[in-house]
Amino acid sequence: MQGTFLDAVDRIGGEPVAARMARKAPIRHLDPMLLLVTLLLSIFGAVMVFTATATKQETLGLDPSQYLKRQIAYAAAGALILLVVSFIDYRYVRALAPFLYGSGVIALLLVLTPLGDEAGGAQSWFNFGFFQVQPSEFAKVTTVVAVAAYLGERKGEIRVRDVAVVVLLVGLPSALIVIEPDFGSMLVFVALLAGLLLLGGAKIRHFVSLAMLGLIGIIIVLQAGFLQTYQIERITAFLDKDPDVQSEGWTLTQTKIAIASGGLNGKGLSEEKTQTTLDFVPEQHTDFIFTAIAEQLGFVGGAALLGLFALLLWRALRIATLSRDLFGTLVAGGIATMWVFQLFINVGMTMGIMPITGLTLPFVSFGGSSMVVNFLSVGLLLNIHMRRYL
Amino acid sequence: MSGFTKPTEEGRSVFGIDRLLLRLTVFGTIIVTIFVALFSRLWFLQVLEASEFRQLAKQNRTRLVESEPPRGLILDRNGRMLVRNRRSLSVTVDRQIVDTPKKTRKVLHRLSAQLDIPVKELKDNLQDEAVSPYKPVAVAVDVREKDEFYFEENGEDFPGVAVENLPVRTYPRKQMAAQLLGYVGEISPDLLDSDHYGSKRYRAGDIVGRDGIEYTYDRFIRGRPSLERVVVNSAGDVVDSDPRREERPGDDLYLTLDARIQKVTEKALASGIAAARAEYQAPSGGAVVMDPDNGEIIAMASYPTFNPSILADGYSKKDARKLGAATSEDNSDDRLLNRPVLGGFPPGSTFKVVTAGAAMWSGVASPSTFLGCPPSTVFPPGGGPGSVIFNNWTSADMGYMGFAESLEVSCDTFYYQLGWAMEEAYGAALGDESERFQDYMRIAGFGHETGIDLPYEAEGRVADEAWCEAYRDYFCPIGWLPGYTVNMAIGQGELITTPLQMAVTYAAIANGGRIVKPHLGMSLGRTDEAGEVEILKDFKAKTVRRLPLDEGELAPLQQGLVDVISGDQGTAASAFAGYPQGNFPVAGKTGTAQIGDVDSGLNYAWFTSYAPADDPEYVVVTYLEKAGHGGESAAPVARQIYEAIFKVDDDPNVGLSQDFSG
Repeated sequence: MQGTFLDAVDRIGGEPVAARMARKAPIRHLDPMLLLVTLLLSIFGAVMVFTATATKQETLGLDPSQYLKRQIAYAAAGALILLVVSFIDYRYVRALAPFLYGSGVIALLLVLTPLGDEAGGAQSWFNFGFFQVQPSEFAKVTTVVAVAAYLGERKGEIRVRDVAVVVLLVGLPSALIVIEPDFGSMLVFVALLAGLLLLGGAKIRHFVSLAMLGLIGIIIVLQAGFLQTYQIERITAFLDKDPDVQSEGWTLTQTKIAIASGGLNGKGLSEEKTQTTLDFVPEQHTDFIFTAIAEQLGFVGGAALLGLFALLLWRALRIATLSRDLFGTLVAGGIATMWVFQLFINVGMTMGIMPITGLTLPFVSFGGSSMVVNFLSVGLLLNIHMRRYL
Repeated sequence: MSGFTKPTEEGRSVFGIDRLLLRLTVFGTIIVTIFVALFSRLWFLQVLEASEFRQLAKQNRTRLVESEPPRGLILDRNGRMLVRNRRSLSVTVDRQIVDTPKKTRKVLHRLSAQLDIPVKELKDNLQDEAVSPYKPVAVAVDVREKDEFYFEENGEDFPGVAVENLPVRTYPRKQMAAQLLGYVGEISPDLLDSDHYGSKRYRAGDIVGRDGIEYTYDRFIRGRPSLERVVVNSAGDVVDSDPRREERPGDDLYLTLDARIQKVTEKALASGIAAARAEYQAPSGGAVVMDPDNGEIIAMASYPTFNPSILADGYSKKDARKLGAATSEDNSDDRLLNRPVLGGFPPGSTFKVVTAGAAMWSGVASPSTFLGCPPSTVFPPGGGPGSVIFNNWTSADMGYMGFAESLEVSCDTFYYQLGWAMEEAYGAALGDESERFQDYMRIAGFGHETGIDLPYEAEGRVADEAWCEAYRDYFCPIGWLPGYTVNMAIGQGELITTPLQMAVTYAAIANGGRIVKPHLGMSLGRTDEAGEVEILKDFKAKTVRRLPLDEGELAPLQQGLVDVISGDQGTAASAFAGYPQGNFPVAGKTGTAQIGDVDSGLNYAWFTSYAPADDPEYVVVTYLEKAGHGGESAAPVARQIYEAIFKVDDDPNVGLSQDFSG
């Protein structure tokens, strides 16, 4: 071994500051695996959105690749935002947390005014002409950031008062979302509450009391009739073993038939006459896109998709553990919670083990807001990962 | 969490959080659990359950659709229309969509209001079990066009309701030949299992002939439906189709019936029954007109009758009641029953020609046999314990006579003696196989189907020792007795025949001994657009067997049958008084089969005949139930038929010959 100056410095345990700084430079600590998984999931989603919509578009005399083009545009916008978010140190984001949270809540308030638009029975959109924005998607991330910032400050000193603050922080946007009404998105906030409290240091007694309060709340809601009958029917439909034609349960039966008939290898993307392409499955490019995947690509395709999600969550969890501070851990944990919950509900409902709620499958379902928010979340994760030595 | 490298304070606290590592592990475990759940559910559905669901998916999206081709027409021998098709606007309800009592009530009430039909009636029709639950049921037929528009405009109020233009059979001659023609309807599971409809050509939901000619000739007149495999989407819209087979319309069927003679036969029967009702119950009857040479059925009537159009278009239960409530004890009101083919009755004295033939064939008599006609006979002769007295119908001793006179006066004791002689020489009591009287009956066409091209033909019954043993508990409590044979010799007792069997046996006497196969189907044809008829197939007449009698043996029987009408003592002489027997000589035989006491009127009145006697063209058999004597009730019906066939009233020679015969 040649005796150079640097070797000498190393041997005595010293290192030039510049070299040390260069070694810790964020750009050298990208998570290529996370980026690759994100890319693969997006491609997977784009292809499936195309096959799920092309036939129908064609029969309507429209551009068969219209949805594909839009999905690619959303992903490109998402990538841009990912880039921006990953270059701003996430600790600045922590400083901005109150502002971000506030804008999220204001957006949720505004969407309930005549400024917002209704679609699918929920007042949940802003229509900007060539694109639409769903504030509830963005509110998920702003809430994660806000709660992470708050709990990060507490450094594990969690008292009842802190739990109450967190409940309020999560409760305010979710209450606004219930008014829209968007029951599925509200459930994501409940999951976020649980996940963030777990990682933020809440005690077992806090969870027990919250669970009790939640139970009482559910009973009151059911008794007071805040929920429409159709909502209750929809939520409990997956428990119905012998559903009526044209009910929610029937939809479920059809999606189950679609998935199971895919078999091990699927029916292929080219064969036209499937449950999915014949419209037996509703919302096949958004909420029920997993059905299209499983029918056309079979167990192999479905398992591959789940595998990609497993990789994604492994990266998110790894970043949570590697984070330099508690705020980073909590943001990463919150994002992981959001993804795994949506995955479980979305895929679970198509297979009849979870209730039907209008939740998207991250990166795969067609939709601009959710696409941008998911890319933004990857940007945050990347940000935390890159700056774990600074 | 291999990447976890944070310094810990005794492994307990990171960033001030109690057991962050444990918390992350719990968090990770929850995620792993969720993935395990999703993977195993996916495996279960797609690998373990896949084949079952694959079938469901296929059923979901493909349907085999058949179109019902236009059914062939049914015409008489001269091309006169008996059955044709028309289109009927019908309201159908899909029971797969209207599948709950609540939905049914709602839809039926709305339908009732629009169509002005009681809910009850619609409901009865909807619950028709003859229609498969997967096919829409017609609940109302012949609705107005404005109803169709209404249902189209207000579709959302009428889920599962459709208006279809269904082909319906129509009967331009109303109730003519109703029981012969039969009717069409959806194939029932029983029919689908039957030999007749069991082939691959038929599947559930097909519209087929369910009775009569429509049943027998279904495979010719139905045509071949087109077949298409279609792919549908969730809304049931056809998105793709794959034609498998072209449609082929049904062939037209020409029957041997003559609409003119059919009409007069039905009229004669109805008026004969009306006349008999002056004195008797006379609830029902039947008549057959057949060509003795080839078995062509020229006319066949059954009374009471009905208009088949009520069965043609999804009839309601109300209509069905009009068809008569038949019970196993009493079918006298059953209008659907084709009595000449399905009815079984003792034939009475009309059977004596059979006894005579059997006696000559078996050798106990010859054409020149002379026997006495005493008021009564005792068997075994000489009396003694166990002997039975058999009386003639009159207490006068009519002296010795031959076969011809025995038929003319219808002497019972003459035939008792022949019956006894055959029983003694060849009967069951001898223990060998040769019951020659019964053997001859079977040759003459009794105890089995004649083979007519109509479904469900009755076999009748020839009583013999084997029958007696088989039904010992019901009919023969002490086993076979010679008395059974003696009774059968005059067409009484356990013997059962159908009017059609009688027609066949009289045709054999008329045509010199050939047993023909009666049939209604004459030919298949197709009329092209220019109106040209092309005959595709002729149904050939068949001689099934011969009677084992030569001309010398038939001659006294033929003479006797003429004398029944022409002779001074003839039992039908008064019924044919004034008939131009010289121009169109009739040979026939009356029969009065007792049910109870002869004079109670509860008799089967028969007249079996053919004409012209010297060159027979028509066999005519008439019978009336519970209507007195054959000579007084049945013979006049036959006379009316002959008069109409031969157009007696229009014939300029008739008056002349009447003067001669004076």
